[in-house]
Amino acid sequence: MTSLQSTLGDEPGIAEELASNQRAISIAEFFEKNKHMLGFDSGARGLVTAVKEAVDNALDAAEEAGILPDIYVEIREEGDYYRLIVEDNGPGLTKESLPKVFGKLLYGSRFHRREQARGQQGIGISAAVLYSQLTSGKPAKITSRTQGAAQAEYFELIIDTDENEPEISVEKATRWDRPHGTRIDLEMEANMRARQQLHDYIKHTAVVNPHARLELREPQEHFKFERATDQLPEETEEIRPHPHGVELGTVIKMLNATDSHSVSGFLQNEFTRVGKKTAESVIDAFRDRHFGREMTWRPPAGHERSVSSAVTEATVNKGQEATAAFADGIDDDLSSRERVSHHELVAAVDASADAVEADTGTTFGTTVRENAVEAAWGATCGLEEEADDALEESRLVGDLYDLVDGATSTRKDDEVVHAFAVRLAGKFADEEDQRHRLTEKTLEAFVDRAAELTEEYDDVTFGETARENVVEAVWAVMVTVPDDPPLVRELADDRDGASDLVEGMRATDIMAPPTRCLSPISADLIEAGLRKEFDADFYAAATRDAGVSGGDPFVVEAGIAYGGELEAEGSANILRFANRVPLVYQRGACATTDVVKRIGWRNYGLDQPGGSGVPNGPVVIMVHVASTNVPFTSESKDAVANVPEIEDEIELAIREASRELKRYLNKRRSMQKRRQKQTVLGAILPEMATKVAEVTGNPEPNIDDAIARIMNNVLVERHVETNGDGQAVKLVVENHSSTNESLEITDIVTAEPTNLSDGASVVEMDGEWFVSWNPTVGGGEESALSYDVSSDAAFDVDVKGVESEKLTVTEN
Amino acid sequence: MSTETDQQAREQLIDLAAQFYDQFQLGEIPHMDVPTRTKSNIELDEDLGVWVYGDRTSRRSANSVAGARKLLKAVYTIEFLAHQLEENRSSTLRELYYISESWDNENAHFNDQDESNQLIEDLEIVSAVTREDFHMRPEESGATVLGPLHLLEQTRRGEREIHCQEDVGEGGYQIPNNPDTIEFLDHDAEFILAVETGGMRDRLVENGFDEDYGALIVHLGGQPARATRRIIKRLHDELEIPVTVFADGDPWSYRIYGSVAYGSIKSAHLSEYLATPEAQYIGIQPEDIVEYDLPTDPLSDSDTNALESELEDPRFQTDYWEEQIELQLEIEKKAEQQALASYGLDFVTDTYLPERLSAMGII
Repeated sequence: MTSLQSTLGDEPGIAEELASNQRAISIAEFFEKNKHMLGFDSGARGLVTAVKEAVDNALDAAEEAGILPDIYVEIREEGDYYRLIVEDNGPGLTKESLPKVFGKLLYGSRFHRREQARGQQGIGISAAVLYSQLTSGKPAKITSRTQGAAQAEYFELIIDTDENEPEISVEKATRWDRPHGTRIDLEMEANMRARQQLHDYIKHTAVVNPHARLELREPQEHFKFERATDQLPEETEEIRPHPHGVELGTVIKMLNATDSHSVSGFLQNEFTRVGKKTAESVIDAFRDRHFGREMTWRPPAGHERSVSSAVTEATVNKGQEATAAFADGIDDDLSSRERVSHHELVAAVDASADAVEADTGTTFGTTVRENAVEAAWGATCGLEEEADDALEESRLVGDLYDLVDGATSTRKDDEVVHAFAVRLAGKFADEEDQRHRLTEKTLEAFVDRAAELTEEYDDVTFGETARENVVEAVWAVMVTVPDDPPLVRELADDRDGASDLVEGMRATDIMAPPTRCLSPISADLIEAGLRKEFDADFYAAATRDAGVSGGDPFVVEAGIAYGGELEAEGSANILRFANRVPLVYQRGACATTDVVKRIGWRNYGLDQPGGSGVPNGPVVIMVHVASTNVPFTSESKDAVANVPEIEDEIELAIREASRELKRYLNKRRSMQKRRQKQTVLGAILPEMATKVAEVTGNPEPNIDDAIARIMNNVLVERHVETNGDGQAVKLVVENHSSTNESLEITDIVTAEPTNLSDGASVVEMDGEWFVSWNPTVGGGEESALSYDVSSDAAFDVDVKGVESEKLTVTEN
Repeated sequence: MSTETDQQAREQLIDLAAQFYDQFQLGEIPHMDVPTRTKSNIELDEDLGVWVYGDRTSRRSANSVAGARKLLKAVYTIEFLAHQLEENRSSTLRELYYISESWDNENAHFNDQDESNQLIEDLEIVSAVTREDFHMRPEESGATVLGPLHLLEQTRRGEREIHCQEDVGEGGYQIPNNPDTIEFLDHDAEFILAVETGGMRDRLVENGFDEDYGALIVHLGGQPARATRRIIKRLHDELEIPVTVFADGDPWSYRIYGSVAYGSIKSAHLSEYLATPEAQYIGIQPEDIVEYDLPTDPLSDSDTNALESELEDPRFQTDYWEEQIELQLEIEKKAEQQALASYGLDFVTDTYLPERLSAMGII
């Protein structure tokens, strides 16, 4: 968990934007211009946003210190203004950290932090402080007491809007009843028109923070939300960013800040899921973008000896024998290869030179080697001659012809393919870099140009797809160069280079980030939270496994409450949360709402007019998206954006929870039918029994067994027989259903029972004996409890573990 | 009326109620099993030559709301019938339906007459007592008989001796609901001619066919009532008069013949008592349509379906019927008895019937 002290403005996008703007205009002016996107566009909303920021930070502060949060929110009318007071029982603040926390809009921009935190929401409490100051002209009044401190401290804080610097104007010791914590008192222009949103926010916060105690006192109403659990959310671990989730600006900052020298070290140290091998893959991808790849060509066949003769010709003063060995060595090496690139040729020349040097003692200096490379490369490309028609006949054309022919549709004319290959070869031949080293972009430009010329002169189409295929085919035979990547400090100053690195990171397959940085609420606690705040008949919740979107891990959880005191009229109540923070505005723009609408709720037994849209009925649907970076539709962070991966998980989570709802509703319906059946049969069968007795002239028969059997019920029947001075009691459980039933039977007897049958136990309490017996009775079977007791004893049996609809108890 | 039979019937009913009582006492779900009354559950009784119910039974059980209501109604009906027998009264099936409306228990009221009829059938089967012995009458009266037959009927106003030609008008003698109250004294009949339609019956009477050929003309009036079938059965068994059936040439008429000869699906439990397996079918046969070139109507879809279902009906699985039905399906035509009038009003009595009867070896 992150704390209030460190999460302010923990949001790179805005932070950067604010920072750049700040130089030109004052922070106040900036705030005025952007207050809509910060959630302060109206007095009504400003109040809700201020409450939200203060409460979010208070929760984070307490949680980080391992304290169960106890938060008090008060809103008072003060003349034309409203006064907002938020108290927490967090660890309290020191004088040094306090102005930064509450005062400076950009404090704590630890841009690379990857951890689930509320603070990611909104712009932070400092914006509320500024809003208060701008609208009321009054300072923020802050009381804080650190744990164990003898007394609390009181501060008044004003932000210098020209300098964006907080100033403490008043500072004194004070008395405060909380042993530790922070209290902030802000006066602001506001109104209570958004009362409903405010209530929702507090209530929903209570749902997703079952470990917190919340209290809200506003001019009209007063709510308290007690804890449902004493279990703090699991602490999250901060993780390093994932290579797929970072932006260029962030990477440049990281390059500046890192201690690593090499790119490989930088990648391994600063990112998660990057080891040596992955770093190598990223660097290869970077090389392809930064340096480009080198084209490979088919070397001339060994028997032509054209490489050998070219090298021999270019090598002087090395003696015939050594020269021949050198030249043949190169030729042999090349002709053993399918294709060869320039740097591979350089390596081959070096290898041959070194070998001959070792054999003969003749030295092959740099110049000799360079000449040899040039000659051999010329022979390989077939461009050594300066003739006009050299190109047409060159080896490049043949090579490219085969590549292009393989990559384009068979309907392309041979002549056209040939003409295109000639033009493409021309681009290579004209390339300044004789190593034929190109980036993919340059290659695309080559192909485009050649295609355009072909279209122009040969009057044929050479479309997008054909061009893409050719680029793909050629890029595939080009090879990554072995050049060392630039050092970190070089890259830090090289925006294009850093951009290549970011692209390289994105293009590389990298394992999904770890999820220990997330703290889902857990299905159990969601259910507990719903239970606490909604008086329903049924609750279910589901937590999905973590997923990854754009390099950020996320977890989706869903909860459902149904029936009971929930509003039966109208559509379902959808509660949306991101990182444990309720989203109260822009319901219609949220991915959560979209997903709820597209689920076929009729399948789950809910009413859904027209088969789509928000279902009707007494239902609460809750969705929580936890992520290191929740994608929002806008800066005001009211709605989760429609990211497919997240939408899919939201749907699966809701469906998982709803499956239980379906089972519950089906069961409820069948129980309802059973009740109806029992009611009707309960009337008919006694009438039938009476009539049968009348017709046959017998006393009325006992029909309990028959009814239990008809209803597949569990029948608990007491038989009492006089047994000497006392009575023998027998409780018989007959299970007429087809499944096992586990019962909890307590028989309360007014005298001490003896001779208790096996499996039962007895406890005396205030002159009553509680016989408890928990039998499991299989379908169609029966089981009995027996004991002896004095003849004046009375009994009262209580049966649990079976739905009352399925239970028939008869006391004789 | 034999009070002995009444007493026996009453006891059978009370036994049935006692069975429910015992089921309650044993903690069982009250139920009664009755043979399934569908076409697939009737089979030929080789000894009797009639069709009876097979082994398949349906359980009327109180384990559903509908089933419990049914049994409740059964018990109320048992009580009512027992009273009726005690007081030597009788009632009709339709009256039973209305009488249930007066019962104090709304759950015991019948929803419609089909329900009460079906219940009476159930009780008949389970108690092995016919509804006549319960003193339950059908609404419609039995058919009429005209011909050389002398009988004695027990009526509420004493014994009546009746000659079915001399003592009756052209309408003939009305068969009582319970023909077992009749005693046959004497007869002069050569054969019984059971006629489907009233029009044809009147034609035969007008043409004096009963006198000319010694025929006992029985009017079936569509699907014959139990009393009609019972009297035919008794005339055949006791007086050994051969039985012939004269009906239209369509699938529905074959069923009328089937119920006279082999019993009906709904009363297969009484086949032994009602069916006359020796009864012979005169016509109109599909063969006649071709042979006499009768005016015809085309078969409707439901006719075709009925014919096809008759091919599956165990009662019609004989070479004769298979041949006739297949022929009819082939020509896709049907003809009424009255179609014979296209050759003149006397054609049926002068030509068709004598030809058919002699071909069948009756005259």
